[in-house]
Amino acid sequence: MADDTISVIKLHNVLMVTVPPDPDDETVSALQERVLQTMERYEAKGLVLDISTVETLDSFFARTVVETVQMVALMGGRTVLAGMRPSVAITATQLGLTLGSALTALDVDRALDVLDDRPRLGGDGDDQ
Amino acid sequence: MTNEDAGEVRIDSESDIVAARKIVRDMAIALGFGVTDVTRIVTAASELTRNVFRYAGSGIMRWRTVTAGEVIGLELVFEDHGPGIPDITRAMEVGYTTKGGLGLGLPGAKRLMDELEIESEVGKGTRVTVKKWRK
Repeated sequence: MADDTISVIKLHNVLMVTVPPDPDDETVSALQERVLQTMERYEAKGLVLDISTVETLDSFFARTVVETVQMVALMGGRTVLAGMRPSVAITATQLGLTLGSALTALDVDRALDVLDDRPRLGGDGDDQ
Repeated sequence: MTNEDAGEVRIDSESDIVAARKIVRDMAIALGFGVTDVTRIVTAASELTRNVFRYAGSGIMRWRTVTAGEVIGLELVFEDHGPGIPDITRAMEVGYTTKGGLGLGLPGAKRLMDELEIESEVGKGTRVTVKKWRK
């Protein structure tokens, strides 16, 4: 049941995961497992966790995210958390959550920019 | 959605944590809390429901609308017949846990809500009462 709600999509060499809005603990744990298996299978260099629909980021969820970031790092990948809602950011900070070495971005688009560390040849001027 | 201003939900399994979150979200929205306060209340409820399940195995969450003069608020009570908390002062310290969590549940819930009260007796159980007032 938990596995159905998680989609892991490979886009070039980045994995994209959309986290469901209100996942139970089982789904959160399943997500971690799926991500690591897919990282290995596709030799991805990075992971984007899209949390833009997530309404509740509690300590269990946050701990699993931090663990996943560390595990992905051990496998040679970088993780970007994308799209945290303002209300979730305020709440997470007051709760006392820290997200360790996770990179963050305002949305998925910018998350891909963060992972894309190749030098730009054309210099199209839209990145700063 | 619920139109009643009081009710309760059993906490017997891990999936009841999600059920409790949904009820609390609906209640908080119905009472007119803003989106950030709704998120604060639901997150606190998630932490406290998980504590009931982790430490006591089962319990109950009660909710009701409370008023103080003109001000409306939401009260949530988390009650279990688990092992109880031997040292409430330590349990309120950030990072203190006996179940391998982050130790953020109680102190975090206190910061997210306006009021938090703990009654606990070792071997008998624990009751945590939290309130949030609509600003």
